[in-house]
Amino acid sequence: MGDYQLGEFEEIVLLTVAVLYDHAYGVSIKEEIEQKLGRKVSTGALQTALRRMENKGYLDTQWGEATSVRGGKRKKYFMVTPFGKKALDHVQESRQKLWKAIPKIAFDFGK
Amino acid sequence: MVNKQIDIDNTLVLRLLRRFIKPEYYEDIAGDLDEQINSYRIHKNLIFWWLWKEVILLLHPALLRPFFKFGKLKNSNTMLINYLRIASRQFKKYKMNTAINLIGLSTGMAACILIFLFVQDELSFDRHHEHAEDIYRVTVQNFDTDGAMNRHWAFASAGHAERLKADYPSITHAVRFFPWAFPDLEYGDQRFPGEPVIFADDDVFDIFSFPFLLGSPETAFNDIFSLVLTEESAIRIFGNDWAEQDLLEKTLKLTARGQEFNFKITGVMEDMPDQQHFHFEYLAPLRLVEQAMGEETMNNVGGNYNWLTYIRTAPNADMASLTESAVGFWEKYVDPIRGRPSSDFYKFQFQPLLDIHLRSNLEGEYETNGSIDQVYIFSIVGILLLIIACVNYMNLSTSHFTRRLKEIGVRKVLGSGKSALVTQFLVESTLITIMSLPIALLLVWLALPAINDFLEKSLTLNLIDNYLLILTLFSLLAIIGLLAGLYPALFLSRLGTVQSLKGKLAASPSKWNFRSVLVTVQYAVVLGLIFALTVIESQIDFIRTSDPGYRKEAIIDLPLSRSMENLETFKTQLLSYPNIEAVAYSSRIPTGRLMDSWGARFFKGDEAVDLDFRLPGIMVDEDFLDTYDITLAAGTDFQRQMDTFADSIGYYIINRSAAEALGYPNPNDIIGENISYGPYKGRIYGVTEDFHFESLHSPIVPMVMMKSSSRLRRASILVNTQRLPETLQHIESTWADFDPVNPVEYRFVEDRFEDQYVQEQRLSQMINVFTVVAILIGCLGLVGMVGFLIDTKTKEIGVRKVLGASVANVLGLIGAHFTILIGVAFVLITPIAYYLMNDWLETFVYHIDMGVLIVLLPVVIVMVITAFSIGFQTLKAALDNPVKSLRTE
Repeated sequence: MGDYQLGEFEEIVLLTVAVLYDHAYGVSIKEEIEQKLGRKVSTGALQTALRRMENKGYLDTQWGEATSVRGGKRKKYFMVTPFGKKALDHVQESRQKLWKAIPKIAFDFGK
Repeated sequence: MVNKQIDIDNTLVLRLLRRFIKPEYYEDIAGDLDEQINSYRIHKNLIFWWLWKEVILLLHPALLRPFFKFGKLKNSNTMLINYLRIASRQFKKYKMNTAINLIGLSTGMAACILIFLFVQDELSFDRHHEHAEDIYRVTVQNFDTDGAMNRHWAFASAGHAERLKADYPSITHAVRFFPWAFPDLEYGDQRFPGEPVIFADDDVFDIFSFPFLLGSPETAFNDIFSLVLTEESAIRIFGNDWAEQDLLEKTLKLTARGQEFNFKITGVMEDMPDQQHFHFEYLAPLRLVEQAMGEETMNNVGGNYNWLTYIRTAPNADMASLTESAVGFWEKYVDPIRGRPSSDFYKFQFQPLLDIHLRSNLEGEYETNGSIDQVYIFSIVGILLLIIACVNYMNLSTSHFTRRLKEIGVRKVLGSGKSALVTQFLVESTLITIMSLPIALLLVWLALPAINDFLEKSLTLNLIDNYLLILTLFSLLAIIGLLAGLYPALFLSRLGTVQSLKGKLAASPSKWNFRSVLVTVQYAVVLGLIFALTVIESQIDFIRTSDPGYRKEAIIDLPLSRSMENLETFKTQLLSYPNIEAVAYSSRIPTGRLMDSWGARFFKGDEAVDLDFRLPGIMVDEDFLDTYDITLAAGTDFQRQMDTFADSIGYYIINRSAAEALGYPNPNDIIGENISYGPYKGRIYGVTEDFHFESLHSPIVPMVMMKSSSRLRRASILVNTQRLPETLQHIESTWADFDPVNPVEYRFVEDRFEDQYVQEQRLSQMINVFTVVAILIGCLGLVGMVGFLIDTKTKEIGVRKVLGASVANVLGLIGAHFTILIGVAFVLITPIAYYLMNDWLETFVYHIDMGVLIVLLPVVIVMVITAFSIGFQTLKAALDNPVKSLRTE
């Protein structure tokens, strides 16, 4: 049915937003990815992915508190929408399907 | 709590972000950046760079606000495609026009790219050294008694480096380079005579960055008999596979001044890059020379300026105050001269390393330097050519605007705004600019080998690593696309809708519109270039044909090797050959420089007076004046047996300038008077007419010739140019009899003479090429322009002819238009060009005057060129049957 477009990086970002649950905002998402997956993330790449998914409806946003460390600027929290959840499910399912379809012998490097 | 907040909101980079990013995204993104900085996650020193990097990466289309209002309309891409399609149809339909535009733009661009490569290369000299900013060359200025600067040496004395370093704490390193005795070098049974081994102080590797391929700078000079090669010299001695030969285990035998040394190879450096103001192939520790020359020589602080010396200072040292306090150096180490402190006569000047190549042209520069003037001249010419090419495009596209009238009208009626029309024409100009780029690059690629050969450079068109070049290319595209397209775009979009639809020429009611201004600019540039060329060519011609006062034809200059003995026999042997007419020995020859002035005194009766002017000189034998055909104004030539050094008595001939400077306007009166030069008191035997020993850049100065039989290391051989190969053969075989070791090397004095003006000839040829390019582009523009002019005047011509005007009248009508434009351009450009060229001529002491002819010649040339380019079309229009032109509607 639905045509869920989700790139590899977008998938990671979306999952991370889910992991962080109610305090997923720019810096925390960035650091989470950098720590857990050990890859460098530029603000630009992250924000691009976030806003795209927001436009697609995978993510919802909500303004958060402003702190002095942020120079008085508010955070924007991201939350996964039900539609976003569906997209993640879809990705997982398609992967699963493929995994299941692999004949045992394909990975039998024994011999 | 963080107490020390860094406020980034008002930095340029954040303002940039705010300007370009969608407003609803700004707050939290900027907040994120803020948070990362202020929670110390970014190192303090890196914040600036990090911020820029992050913001640039944020400029992603998904986050940016829309640039153009019409971008919101979904059809912006469709319109763009439409513009491109129309443009390509235009290009196809008017092939001639397109070709002219392509040729014009690509030639202009190619010239610009070449000039860019040249300028980039010139400006990159010596920048590769890590400490380039802190390296200075120590040079010494020498002043007259009355305070005027007399000499400025690129070299210092042997004792300077060490003392400067010790006395001034801001000088952290100092190095001297000394080419001691070019030794013969032996490896196994191979022999390399006279290799340029340069001896340097240990600091050399702390001052200059010479990357090592083998060995390391730290250990290179540990031993006094160390020798560092460069890749080039390693290949010369050990062959291409030197890297496999374990060079660090090998020794080389050096022979110099009858001594033999075994040198251990301690390293191989990369070849010194072309963009460096000196090139050495071997470096060895100067300590050896110190031992060989002895302490007295090495401690010399007031003379013997032969030591190329560089210092490295602490970063950002205050050079002004260093120069100031270095005055004390002279007072400390050099005794007062004639009762005045030595600092009145000598002064250090510390030349920044980065200025040496372009801004220094001192006596005895290590290699020929470039000149900043040349860089300026070429940069200006490059910009001018670019302007001409753009002007050309503007002219052509506006000239043919009638073709586009209907199209513009229809577009307007269908609701095209002015900005949409402007965009359309800018797209067109950008498209054609982009199309010219590959052609331009091809032209550059084709021209580079010749240019490199000519400039003795190795410029390359490196489109992968040369970021600056790539950036330049893109800016060229942008600038040309915009500059060339803007005027046509504005002009065409301004046309009234109704008139456009009707196809009526409502525009340009006045004859003298902006297009005329453009053509005038083109004319001015071309006039200026031709003017410059005329002046340079006339000056070069003046030099070539002016009589230097000595014979330069058919004389061979043969520098004698150290091992050459028995010069008298050598001369006799040479002269035994019928085609050799004369042989003369001297210490230096005309086309070179005169020897430094020795202290001289003139005797009036018994009273000796110090000379108050410089009296440089040379040492010659009795055949010198005859061989060079230098005329004696009074007195007699030298006798063979006279020998200043052997007899300790001076034998002198001076030139007329010297006689006049001594107060004898009539040369006959000074014959027999006494002069002492250095330690030798003696008679003046003759006075020669003045001749240009040095180039025409410098004035003829008073000089003295001293007769001697030793210290004459150059032979000048006057030959009969018939059967030259055999004569040269004879010289070579005679040489081999006297010096079997060293190869014979000779040059014609005439070639040396030409070499003195090699810079000027280069300049002239370069300007020549650029002038041709400018004229070519300019002519293309004229052809287009006159087409337009005739288009608009078809009716007028028809009416005039019907009313009885002759073909000549009609030609005059068109011609007058261009004549006025040329006239205006002439009035505008001549004063500027005259001023600039006058400046250039002043670099010669002997130069031509710019007469009426030189000033008017460019105008005549331009008139003729114009007549040729517009003549055909104009004639055709004038000859056309008026009935035909009147009938067209």
